[in-house]
Amino acid sequence: MMEARLLVSVVDDDESVRESLPDLLQEFGFAVETFASAEEFLASGRVADTRCLVLDIAMPGMSGPDLQRELEQRRHKVPIVFITAHADKSDFPRLMEQGAAACLLKPFSDTALREALDAALDGSAPDEG
Amino acid sequence: MSLGALTASIAHEINQPLAGIITNASTCLRMLAADPPNVRGALETARRTIRDGNRAADVITRLRALFSKKAAVTETVDLNEAAREVLALGFSDLLRNRVFLRTEIDHDHPVLVTGDRVQLQQVILNLVRNASDAMSGVNDRPRHLLVRAERDDEGGARLIVTDSGVGLDPQAIERLFDAFYTTKKDGMGIGLSVSRSIIESHGGKLWAEANHGPGTTFTFSLPPLADSATGCRTGDAAETSKISDRREAMRSS
Repeated sequence: MMEARLLVSVVDDDESVRESLPDLLQEFGFAVETFASAEEFLASGRVADTRCLVLDIAMPGMSGPDLQRELEQRRHKVPIVFITAHADKSDFPRLMEQGAAACLLKPFSDTALREALDAALDGSAPDEG
Repeated sequence: MSLGALTASIAHEINQPLAGIITNASTCLRMLAADPPNVRGALETARRTIRDGNRAADVITRLRALFSKKAAVTETVDLNEAAREVLALGFSDLLRNRVFLRTEIDHDHPVLVTGDRVQLQQVILNLVRNASDAMSGVNDRPRHLLVRAERDDEGGARLIVTDSGVGLDPQAIERLFDAFYTTKKDGMGIGLSVSRSIIESHGGKLWAEANHGPGTTFTFSLPPLADSATGCRTGDAAETSKISDRREAMRSS
């Protein structure tokens, strides 16, 4: 049933996140791709297949919110779960207003991530397995 | 430097590896709890947990090193060669950032100074990275980066890094070299303060000027060979600049 797995794309310049999140997301039952920058994601050809984006806020070059706006301009609707290591929630209300599904402060628990993905996918998330 | 800003910077650097630790450990538990347990996957996530723990410890070590002073290695360094190596390391990053690099480096005429090669290269790397970052938002003109090493009139040496980036207002230029001051959303504000302390420990000066056109020029000058042979101290301070730079780590990309 591999092909039936929903694709979650992780865009984060931090290597620890790019290494650790895929295994957890696979445990949740998703297919996963990781990208070190927003530019890399946009150039990857996986934009259309991505059913949910786990997106770092602050990255060199194009930031997470920049990517959110770019996808908006391309009229590509994909739910976004923002993640950030800045212990500062002041951006969150604005990001939520602009359509983010959830915002998480790093470090976050597996339960918090699971809930964020459930919210993002609105019931279409896979059962764990 | 406000305590709040300092705390936020340190929190950011620690939260990154903590995120890895918690995610890896959660995954590890799930893999072990599965039926049958995924032992191989669990071993791998446990290894990554340890590595991320060490990364967090490294951040602390580097922070502490910022405030410690140790003897540095003193040798004769060719600034041309030192700059060339740094640019070779960082070239792919510059390319990716669509930066047009121009060097005025005369390989036949070494620009010799006395100092700690690794520390001086940390400074050059820091200046080049800052220049590249300052141009990352520039889309209406070419992103030009000029790196030049030359002798000055007093027999000393100069290294000049000019960008065509967003530039800095005069107040920002004043504060640039303050520890924990940063104009970058993700920076720790350590790179330039450490760079200046390295250059000053070599008996030199590091300063910034607004260009006549767009962008900023950073220059450091070092004394003539014989004069700079003494008093080269700061040691691990150079290491700390890696804290703010690690995220863009040119070496690993």
